Amino acid sequence: MSPRSNDDAQERDLVDEAADPAGTAETAADPTGTATPAETAGAAGSAAAAATTGTGRPAPGERRGSGRSRALQLAACAVALAVAMTAGAVVLGNRGGDDTSTVSSAPGLDPELLAGGSLASGISALQSHLKAQPKDSGGWATLGMAYVEQARTNGDPSRYPQAQRALARSLELSPDNDPALAGRAALAAARHEFPEALAFSEQALDENAFNERALSVRIDALVELGRYKEAAKAADEADSRRPGVPVFTRYAYVRELRGDIGTARRVLKQALAGATAPGDIAYVAGSLGQLSWREGDYGVALKYYEQALRADRTYLPALEGRARAQAANGDRAAAIRGMEEVVARFPLPGPLVVLGELYEARDDEGDPAKARDQYALVDAWTSLARANGVNADLDTALAAADHGDRKAALRAARAEWERRHTVHTADALAWALHVNDRDDEALAYARRATATGYRDATFLYHRGMIERATGHAKEARGSLSAALELNPGFSPVGAQQAEKALTALGGAR
Amino acid sequence: MTPFTSGFVGRRSLATLVCGALATGGLAAVGVTALEPGAASASSHREAPLISGQPQYDNTDVYAFASPDKPDTTTIIANWIPFEEPAGGPNFFPFAEDAQYDLHIDNNGDAQGELVFRYTFKTHVKNDKTFLYNTGPVESLDDPDLNITQTYDIDLLQLKDQHLVKKTKYADDVAVAPSNVGKASMPDYAKLRSEAVHELPGGATTFAGQADDPFFLDLRVFDLLYGGNLSEVGNDTLKGYNVNSVALQLPNDVIQESADQPIVGIWSTTQRKNASGHYRQVSRLGMPLVNEVVNPLKDKDKFNASAPWNDGDFLKNVTNPELPKLIEAIYKIEAPDEPRNDLVDVFLKGVEGLNQPPNVRPSEMLRLNTSTKPAAEEKRLGVLDGDNAGFPNGRRLGDDVLDIALQVVEGELVGSKNDLGDAVDKNDVKFEKTFPYVGQPTSGSRGPLAKGTTGTNDVRNQLGDALQPAGANGTGGMDDTTLIAVSAASGAAGFLLVGTGLLWWRSRRRSY
Repeated sequence: MSPRSNDDAQERDLVDEAADPAGTAETAADPTGTATPAETAGAAGSAAAAATTGTGRPAPGERRGSGRSRALQLAACAVALAVAMTAGAVVLGNRGGDDTSTVSSAPGLDPELLAGGSLASGISALQSHLKAQPKDSGGWATLGMAYVEQARTNGDPSRYPQAQRALARSLELSPDNDPALAGRAALAAARHEFPEALAFSEQALDENAFNERALSVRIDALVELGRYKEAAKAADEADSRRPGVPVFTRYAYVRELRGDIGTARRVLKQALAGATAPGDIAYVAGSLGQLSWREGDYGVALKYYEQALRADRTYLPALEGRARAQAANGDRAAAIRGMEEVVARFPLPGPLVVLGELYEARDDEGDPAKARDQYALVDAWTSLARANGVNADLDTALAAADHGDRKAALRAARAEWERRHTVHTADALAWALHVNDRDDEALAYARRATATGYRDATFLYHRGMIERATGHAKEARGSLSAALELNPGFSPVGAQQAEKALTALGGAR
Repeated sequence: MTPFTSGFVGRRSLATLVCGALATGGLAAVGVTALEPGAASASSHREAPLISGQPQYDNTDVYAFASPDKPDTTTIIANWIPFEEPAGGPNFFPFAEDAQYDLHIDNNGDAQGELVFRYTFKTHVKNDKTFLYNTGPVESLDDPDLNITQTYDIDLLQLKDQHLVKKTKYADDVAVAPSNVGKASMPDYAKLRSEAVHELPGGATTFAGQADDPFFLDLRVFDLLYGGNLSEVGNDTLKGYNVNSVALQLPNDVIQESADQPIVGIWSTTQRKNASGHYRQVSRLGMPLVNEVVNPLKDKDKFNASAPWNDGDFLKNVTNPELPKLIEAIYKIEAPDEPRNDLVDVFLKGVEGLNQPPNVRPSEMLRLNTSTKPAAEEKRLGVLDGDNAGFPNGRRLGDDVLDIALQVVEGELVGSKNDLGDAVDKNDVKFEKTFPYVGQPTSGSRGPLAKGTTGTNDVRNQLGDALQPAGANGTGGMDDTTLIAVSAASGAAGFLLVGTGLLWWRSRRRSY
């Protein structure tokens, strides 16, 4: 046999570059090139200023200390953190790239095989293989997809630039290859670029109508764009072509969004019965937990969360869900322990709010201060996200509306609504309008959020409060009663508010 | 979630908070997350699995041959679930309950199945209080210590022009041979397996259960498709891995159209129940390597969902195959002239005068002339080496289909003699002399033999080593909290170590 004829130094470099700290930092640290610490200071400053010039009732961002000095303080911390984050990105970007030569070439690793064992070991083997065979377009596509999947399971977006390079390399070697096109679609969706995700998934499906990932991302993109009818059609089509866990989970969600809980639960159970990979089991069991929790079946939810955690004891959504279900079930001590664990790992707005509210509800000595700390971290998180050119996610907007910078929450919610009209963006916008005293505007959005039949007690609570504020007492009673009937533990503080409001309105309907 | 209550947070407390979060690594992680909208921040956007492991539906190989010890019968073997790792604790590999595992037979060459033997499985758990596969040594298939068992039914579907004309229950509640989880649990696995061989009325015999993967090849041979070379071949990539086998031995007169037309086409499919309750075909396999080697990437999924009747769609992949062109580009071995009608014969129609049925419609299936007598001495290159009882006249467990296919693709039948191959000429485990013939599964108590590894240094260990940052070498004995605390204490440079600490910790949580 002839000696290796494809020893292309440039292509070899590309594999190395995928793990190059400098390269990663350059790409990852400043995705938009627009963020500056000054802007952070500005955002925080204007929020604080707004708070001090607010209307009669206490504004969410109000501080009794000097708004200006607090803003500077926050900005300084944000700068320090931004530096720290960049350093972190450098290090994380370097992960797994070096010293993988001990793993020998594993040609043609199927994406499916990656799911069987450890994703990281599959990636490592692929990197090694691509060093030896840099012209393997299929290998590059699989690697790109694996990076996207790794970002999903670990919440580590430093993988995205690496995914982008791997997928670009694949398409350069083999234009129009559907795995790489589907990978680009998945990457776009992960970065919340849903119109692009839709376009790429359709390109991939033009090449291969049976591509499981393209079929799945197409549903995701349509859902996130609020095009639910088309999403349902896409889900049916995917189901008839590629039945399996990726399609089942999306099929179930599309049904749930329309209020068809029975089908959603049945399909998720079916997916769970056929799932063998730990990542699949954790995801599907976690989804069943969330579904049960939203329906107020806390015992069932806890059972599913335990199952998810048996498959992957660090699976964050299950840890968070378990804590929420424990709180709803009255086991506040366990809930606080669990949520503290979640927040210690990822202090994201949603869990921070729940933990803060749990402290408020417990109200031991020091608890009010602890609660305020959590809410302050929500603010810090939001500022940081913005400082890094990231539009705050919907959850951030909701958290900020309740416990942070109300004006910023409204800006974020409006911006997101401009991009996509979903039940979630409608709810976030309605609530952000409400906390900014613009209830007349809020009402239409609150109604829209609940119009598909999607059953979420928070949506109903928000709607009820807005109905009450706009003088629709009868509707408000209905919405608030429905929220408390559906999931009385939807939020430690929100549920109390709902009950109070309901009492003021003359009790449950 | 309430619309108020963000109270006073003074300078001291905010600084403490932020620095506290930093010290625990939390905000450093969030910081990275904050660089782009990340998965962990986006519960309003469902980030569902994209890479999903569903090997139970994946058909790996089909074999069909004249039973050497029972020449008036044909044995069909189909395998699912590739790369079953016997090592790493008691692993249990069930057949899926929401699948139909089908063996198809076309006995008149019209590219439509006349017979379907449909295997469906049920799982039984004796004690659902435990997750253990077995609770003590298993002496027999009905041993109470075997906690999780499976049984199966076989339905025989008779079809005409792809319409069902008759359905009969061919077998009912037959026990599956368990996964071989190790010597301590299953001291006499051979006995368990023999108990799973089940005779059916009418002279047929069936078996379902774990087996050594009988396919032998060096998967790296496919490197050449990726622009590589064949310089490092000779290792059976599938050595040490098991599969789930379904084996069915049928009297020839059950499957032949008639004694005068004894040529049958055989393939296997997997159908999976979808969300709306219909069964959809997700895997199809007859002729080995066609979908792997002949079909280009974008057609593979479509092929898996298709039926032989429509194989005209893929005809061009066979008449104008990619593989010889790739080989020509790399090794300067001249590709035979197109169109490759010789390949159409081997892969789609059968060899004339041997296993090509009259009026055959080209389609991908394993074609077997059931009147061929078993060879007294099998030759691994089958028909190419003058042994007409072997591949591509059916396929025996010992046929070296990779070498045969490679040589045929490179023009062995049209004057371009060659002896290409992967240097793996036989399976690592011996095949049995009697039904079900497949080798016994590698036991769970044997050492790991993952791809690209030697000795005890398996992929995961290597990965752990590779991922462990250089700076963390000396802290192997520390738990991650200690590491992070040390890092945080070391000031600005500590940020880097917080990152590596996280990294190290993450590498641990990933090894399921």
